[in-house]
Amino acid sequence: MSDDDPFAVLGVAVTATTREIEREAQKLLGMLALGVGDVGTYLSAAGPRPRTPEAVRAAAAQLRDPRQRLLAELMAGAAPPPPAPPAPVAAPGWPDALRRAGWGPR
Amino acid sequence: MLSSAEMAQSPLYAGFDLGTTNSAVAVFDGQHTQVIRNAAGGAVTPSVVRIDRAGRVTVGQRARRFLEDDPDNTATEWKRLMGTGKQVAFPAAGVARRPEELSAEILRALRTDVADQLGVAVERAVISVPALFELPQSAATSEAARLAGFARVELLQEPIASALAAGWRADDDGNASWLVYDLGGGTFDASLLETRDGLLRVVAHDGDNFLGGRDFDWAITEHLAAELARQTGVQLERKDPSHAGALRLLRLAAEDAKIELSRSATAQVTLARPLVVGDRELDVDLPLSRATVETLTAPLIERSLAVCQRLLASHGLGPGRLARVVLVGGPTLSPGLRALVQARLEATAAEGLDPMTLVAQGAALYAATAGLDGRAAPAAVPHGKKVWLQYPPVTADLTPHVVGRVVGADPPARLRFERADGGWQSPDAPIAADGGFVTMVSLVPRAASTFRLVATAADGSAVVVDPATITIVAGLTIADPPLSRTIGVALANDHVQAYFERGAPLPTRRSFTHTTVETIAAGNPDSVLRIPIVQGEFEQAHLCRLVGTLEVRGVDVKATVPTGATVEVTIELDRAGCLAARAHVPAIDQIFEQVAHLLVPDAAPAALDAALADQRKHLMAVRTDAFRHGLRELIDKLGAVEGLLATAERDIDAAHGGDADAGQKARRTLLEVDAILGDADLARSWPELDGEAHEAAISATGAVAAFGSDAERKLLDEVLAALAQARRARDLAELGRQLRLVRRLAAAAWNRNPDAWTYHLEDAASAIHEARDLPAARKLVDAGRAAVAAGDTDTVRRVVKQLWALLPVDAAERKKGFDSGVR
Repeated sequence: MSDDDPFAVLGVAVTATTREIEREAQKLLGMLALGVGDVGTYLSAAGPRPRTPEAVRAAAAQLRDPRQRLLAELMAGAAPPPPAPPAPVAAPGWPDALRRAGWGPR
Repeated sequence: MLSSAEMAQSPLYAGFDLGTTNSAVAVFDGQHTQVIRNAAGGAVTPSVVRIDRAGRVTVGQRARRFLEDDPDNTATEWKRLMGTGKQVAFPAAGVARRPEELSAEILRALRTDVADQLGVAVERAVISVPALFELPQSAATSEAARLAGFARVELLQEPIASALAAGWRADDDGNASWLVYDLGGGTFDASLLETRDGLLRVVAHDGDNFLGGRDFDWAITEHLAAELARQTGVQLERKDPSHAGALRLLRLAAEDAKIELSRSATAQVTLARPLVVGDRELDVDLPLSRATVETLTAPLIERSLAVCQRLLASHGLGPGRLARVVLVGGPTLSPGLRALVQARLEATAAEGLDPMTLVAQGAALYAATAGLDGRAAPAAVPHGKKVWLQYPPVTADLTPHVVGRVVGADPPARLRFERADGGWQSPDAPIAADGGFVTMVSLVPRAASTFRLVATAADGSAVVVDPATITIVAGLTIADPPLSRTIGVALANDHVQAYFERGAPLPTRRSFTHTTVETIAAGNPDSVLRIPIVQGEFEQAHLCRLVGTLEVRGVDVKATVPTGATVEVTIELDRAGCLAARAHVPAIDQIFEQVAHLLVPDAAPAALDAALADQRKHLMAVRTDAFRHGLRELIDKLGAVEGLLATAERDIDAAHGGDADAGQKARRTLLEVDAILGDADLARSWPELDGEAHEAAISATGAVAAFGSDAERKLLDEVLAALAQARRARDLAELGRQLRLVRRLAAAAWNRNPDAWTYHLEDAASAIHEARDLPAARKLVDAGRAAVAAGDTDTVRRVVKQLWALLPVDAAERKKGFDSGVR
C-alpha cells in the first residue's frame, strides 16, 4: 500500500489505459534521467511532492496490478480528508464493520 | 535504406544462461534470436571445469569426459555453492578456485564461441540467475562476469527469460496467464505471468532452491545402488567418503540412462569398467525402465507441482485457468513429466520451444529491452554534437517517446527522426535552451525500426549529431523485474521493518529512520552496532534469512553515539536485486556503507547435526500439543515436516561424506522446517490472534469513524472484508497481514485525534521505571506534560518519541533478531 496516488505521480487520468500508463511512465523516467523539463515534482492532495524514478516505477507497477489499480481508483475518487470532528472514540461509528469482519452476535 | 556504416552500428544483444549442469549463449539482432553453438557443435556447454597437473584449464564437453577418469580435478555443479565462500580444490595442480572463478571460466568459453562465430567480442550482456537466488549468490554471479572480462552485465531471473522467449514467439496479443515451470539441474522455479496489451508482467513466483535434475539423478542412483547391493551384497552409501568415487560413476550412468529413457521405454545401465569399492570390484549391468524412473521421480515431480498449485491458489487461479505452461530445463524433456504436469495443471505446454536454450534466448531478448548492446563501445571519436537519449529499445507501444538532451553549448534549434525505410518522419521537435527535447516516433509493427536523427540550426543549416541513428524493436514490453522476496531490517525486538515488499519493481531505493538501542563507544574495538538486513516473508526476524549486516564500529565513529540516537538507513537494489546499503548517523554526521557477511552461512556437518536434533525436539513438542488440542490440520502439516527432516538427514549424511552441496541443501531444508514449525507455533495461538483481530477491528472502526477520511473508511471496508475472508479460511498469514493494515489505518486516523499524543505520553510515563536513563525519562515526562498544558501537540509528539527510545528492549528478542542494534 503506497502513500502516493499513482495517477498523480504519473500525471495521468484515472481512466488511462495500460498503454497510456506505460508510455507516460517511460517518458517520465527518461525526462528524470536526463533532467529534461520540469517534472521533478507533482501535485498531491497534501501539496507538492518530489517525483523520483522510484516513485514512477512503483506507481506504474501499482497500476499494472488490477486489484491495486482498483484500490487506487477508489482512493483517487475519494475526497481529501475532512477536518476531524469532535466525536467520542468509544462509539462504534460504523455498525456494519463488525459484521463485515465476520463477527456475529455473541 | 541504411548505409553500411549504419549497418555496422546495428546492435547485437547477448544472453547467457549460466546453468548448474549446462550453460548456453544466444544473441538477438533486433529481428531474430540465434543460439550460438560451441566449438564441438553443441547448443549447450556442460558447466564443467577441469584443471590438470600443469595448471591447464579445460571447460565444457572436453572437461566433462574427465568426470569419470579424473573426478578430483574436474568440478561441476558449483552453482549451488555460489556466494558461500567455499573453494573447490584441484589437487593435481595444487590450486583451489572459488565458485565464481569457475563460472567465469564457463562465461569466458561461451564468450569466445560468440567471438569465433560472429566476430564480436561481447562486452555487455545479460546473465540469467534463478528467481530465488539469494543476494550473495547474485553478487557472486556479477563477480564471475567481471572476472570473465565483461565490462557490464545485468542479471535476469530465469523465469522471466523463459517467458520472454516463449512470448516472443506467441502469435496472439490476447490477455492471458502463463506458468513457467523451470526445472533446472539444481533449482526449481514456478512463475506466474500475465500478458496484457503487449505488456508482460511477472505476477508472482515461487520455487525450491534445492530441487532439480540432480535430485532426479540421485533418486535413480540410489535405486541402482540398492539393486547392486541385492546382486553383490555391497551397499554404497553417500555418508561414506570411500564410496564417493563409485557413487559418482553410478550417478553419471544414471544421468545418461535418464536421458535415453526420454526417447525409449527401457535402457541398460552399464559401466565400461567395474566399480572399485574397497577390495571388491563390482560389475554394473542393470536394466532400467521408463516406468521405474517415473515411479522413482514421482515424489520429486509432486513436490514441484505442489509449489505450482500453491502459487496458483494464492492468486485465485483454479484448474484450467492457465492459457499455457512453458516447460524449461533438461528434465522437462521427459515425456512422463510433461504429461503429468499438463494433466495436473490442466494446461497445454507451449510446443516448438527448446527447453535447454530457452533461457539464453530470453536473456538475449531482455538485453535488447535493457538497451545492453553487446558490442564494445566505439572509440570516442566525435561525430558532431553529442546527444544523450532515453528510449525503450524494445516496446509494445508503436508510438513510444524519445527523450533527449544535446550536450554542450549552442544546441541545434530543432530535431526530427526519419525512419530508415522512408515510410515515416516525425515533425521537427523544438530543442530547449538547455538542449532538452521530447518527441514520439512511429514503429513498424513486429520489426526493428531504425531512425536517423536530423538536426538543424536556427538558420536552417544541418547540424551533425552523435549518435546518427537509433533502433527500436516493436515487440513485447517487459515490466520492471519484481523483487522475489521481501527485504527489510531486523529490529531489536525480533520484528522486521520491511523496506521493499515482495513484488516491488526494481531498481528501487528506500530510507527509514531508526534509533539505536545501545551506545557506540568511540575507539572501542568491541563496540559494534549491527543493522541486520534480512530477506523473507515473516514478521519475525529470526524466521527470515540474514543476507547482510551493516556495521557501525566503535573504532570508526568520530565520537560516542548514545543510546536512542537516530540512524538513517538506506537500502538500494539494482535491477538484478543486488543490494547496497548505507547508514547515516546525523549526531556525528558520518556515513557507513560497509555491508559485512554477504555470504550464505556455512553448512558445517556438525552444526547441521545439532540443528537437526533441535528441529526434531521442536517437532515433537508441537506435535504433542497438536494432538492434545485435536488440531487435525496442523497434524497433517507436521507429516510433511517428517519427510523434510528425513531428506535433511540424508543430505547431512552426504555432507559428512564430503558433499558440500548436499550440506547447503540440508541447511535450506532445515530453514524451511524452522519456518513451518514457526507457523505451527503461531497456529496454536490462533484463538489469541483471532481475539486481537476482534479488538483491532473495534478500535479501528471507532477511530476511523471519528477521525478518518472518506477514503480511509472505504479502505477499512475493503480490509475488514479481507480480514473476514482470512478468518473463514483460517489463513494465519493472511490474518496477520490484514491485521497489520487495520492497525495502520487505525493509527493513521487515531493520531489525528488532538488528544492521541497525550494518551501515548501517559502510557509511556507509566513505564518509565524501566527506562535506561530514569532522570532523562522523568525530565521528558515533565516536558511533555507541560507541552500538553500549553496545547503544543508537536512538542508532545517529539517528547513521546524520545521517551519510546529510552524504554528497553528484551535481550532474548534482540538475540533472535540477529543482535540488531536498532529499532
